[in-house]
Amino acid sequence: MLETNCPNCGAPLRFRSADLAVKVCDYCRSTVVRTGDTLELVGTAAEVPDDVSPLQIGVRGRDGSHRFELVGRVRWRWDDGGWSEWLMLFDDGSHGWLGESMGRFMLLRPEKAVSGEVPATMARGGQVSPGMIAIIAGEEYAVSDARAVTVAGSEGELPSPASIGTQGFSVDLNRPDGRTASIQAEGGTVEAYAGRYVTLADIGATGLREFEGWPMPRYVAGHGA
Amino acid sequence: MSTVPRTRTRPLQGASTVKTLNCPNCGGTIALRAAGTTVSLVCEHCGSTLDATQPELRVIVEANRALHRPLIPLGSRGELDGVTWEVTGYLERTDGEEPWSEYLLFNPYEGYAFLIDDGDRFSLGRLLDRVPGWDDNALSVGGQVFEPTWPTYEARVTFVVGEFYWRVKVGERVQVTDYAAPNLMLSAEENGAERSWTRSKLLARGTAEAAFRIPARQASWDSTPRADEPSPYRRNLREALVIAALAAAVLLFLGITAPSNRLVLTRQIDVPFDEKSHNVVIGPVDLPSARQSVHVRARVDTLNNSWLDIDYSLVERRTQQSYAGYATAERYSGRDSDGAWSEGDNDPGVRFSSIPRGTYDLVIDGAAHRWVDPKAAPAGFTPIFGSADLPPQDMVPVTVEVRRGGGTGGLLFLFLVLIAAWPLILWFKHAHHEARRRGWPQSDDEDGDE
Repeated sequence: MLETNCPNCGAPLRFRSADLAVKVCDYCRSTVVRTGDTLELVGTAAEVPDDVSPLQIGVRGRDGSHRFELVGRVRWRWDDGGWSEWLMLFDDGSHGWLGESMGRFMLLRPEKAVSGEVPATMARGGQVSPGMIAIIAGEEYAVSDARAVTVAGSEGELPSPASIGTQGFSVDLNRPDGRTASIQAEGGTVEAYAGRYVTLADIGATGLREFEGWPMPRYVAGHGA
Repeated sequence: MSTVPRTRTRPLQGASTVKTLNCPNCGGTIALRAAGTTVSLVCEHCGSTLDATQPELRVIVEANRALHRPLIPLGSRGELDGVTWEVTGYLERTDGEEPWSEYLLFNPYEGYAFLIDDGDRFSLGRLLDRVPGWDDNALSVGGQVFEPTWPTYEARVTFVVGEFYWRVKVGERVQVTDYAAPNLMLSAEENGAERSWTRSKLLARGTAEAAFRIPARQASWDSTPRADEPSPYRRNLREALVIAALAAAVLLFLGITAPSNRLVLTRQIDVPFDEKSHNVVIGPVDLPSARQSVHVRARVDTLNNSWLDIDYSLVERRTQQSYAGYATAERYSGRDSDGAWSEGDNDPGVRFSSIPRGTYDLVIDGAAHRWVDPKAAPAGFTPIFGSADLPPQDMVPVTVEVRRGGGTGGLLFLFLVLIAAWPLILWFKHAHHEARRRGWPQSDDEDGDE
């Protein structure tokens, strides 16, 4: 945990994890990168356009025995829509992403062990098509969708800077057992994430955004949150 | 829309999910109900398709036409299974023969659902987040088995209004394959690049209508049942079968234990030992039922090593219609290396079936014969009787009993038919339902194939 001030506007800044080196200032939207105790301004992050997402920074929940809090968000765009990736900081210091797309949620954790046709093709900038295979943590996943994406906005704490217009390539994969994965290529790096579809009730999400005229989900109402 | 940073400090009273905008084509006021997820917005005033992924609504397909309004207006909210849903989009689709409607429902915490209206019933569909498992030509999701239904068909969008999380287009086609379970349907939609699975639940009649405040629909008896519609007769059929089985068992028990025939007359006649037959007429035999059986029994108690041939004719007095029968009464006994023996039926019966109503005479031609046991006869001596100590008979007394049956038997049959009638009717209704449920689209369409 590092409590400091924005080098641009002086507003308080908090870095909660050494792994999350980037913070978008809540007030001036400056993207601040931390190296040890040194702070560096790398630009201004675009504001995420207002949307009807029940999630917001500060939402808490759990995945099995681990509790998490949403600390950051990247909004991605592609030709036929957009989606959000919410950064989950777990109580053991690890992180994951809660993907939000078409009203559904995917809980994804980074996976180092990725091989097969898909990452190889992506690393050399080739065309990935549905049906191609990737091996992630020893499990075989098939590509269901592949598309070019750009960053539309970001907020909060992040593992790396997500400047507006950052280009990337995103591939969705799944397994017949319902598990899902995502492989993203950005610049020369290929990163894999694997996980599953969840509902807000599955992860016991609390601190959800309230909407006028909409009752909170039953599991929340039942706990008086 | 504001310069207030979007952080935890945001006010808690709750933002509205609905944004009011103006259509860039017609200028009409339109609502955006799921900002961030909505991709296409079809203006409800002019029908133009707008791109909702950009802050400025770009017109993708310009249109200027009057649109018809969905039965459930856009923006309506209703509660189904404890979840509040808002209608954000509406589309009409067809398989080329049957049209249906789909409402896209949204809840900020639950995501999307489809309210599917086939014109008669509503069902609520959710996209599956996994691929169903294959299990012997059937699919299973969460332990529920879905059977294949009709062949894959093409569904085409014919009308669209409101907002959607994908790029909607009139004329868009997908290949649909449906699998059914009681009250549930599993549909695979394929468009070449993607295959998605939707599980829909058939809603009880009146549920969706009440939730969205539209007039309730009545069940129509002649409508084709849906593939996921369980037979409404199954339960009644089971009950009716149990009741009928009990009733039939009681009836059969009574029928077996109760006397099933009635003595019409009994008469004693004497048949002489003679080569010529002896003719006796007894009567009247009154037969009151339309058709009945007649049972004639000849009891000969004193028969010993002799036999009786009896020809019967049942003759209707007025029409002289006659029915013939034949019986032999016999009794033999003797002694051989195994000891004493006796055999033969001295009490034979003849049954006339299905004799019509009338007054009859029974004509009896009887002839009695003596029998000589060749083994028992010592050489040179031929006893006329099996036992020399019995006096020889000249006449054989025969007791003839005429009984009529059929009355109770017919009644029993009638009762069984009556008992079976209700289960049979239910079974036919059930079978008809199942045949039509599985047979959709109807096989009597001559020009079904394009």
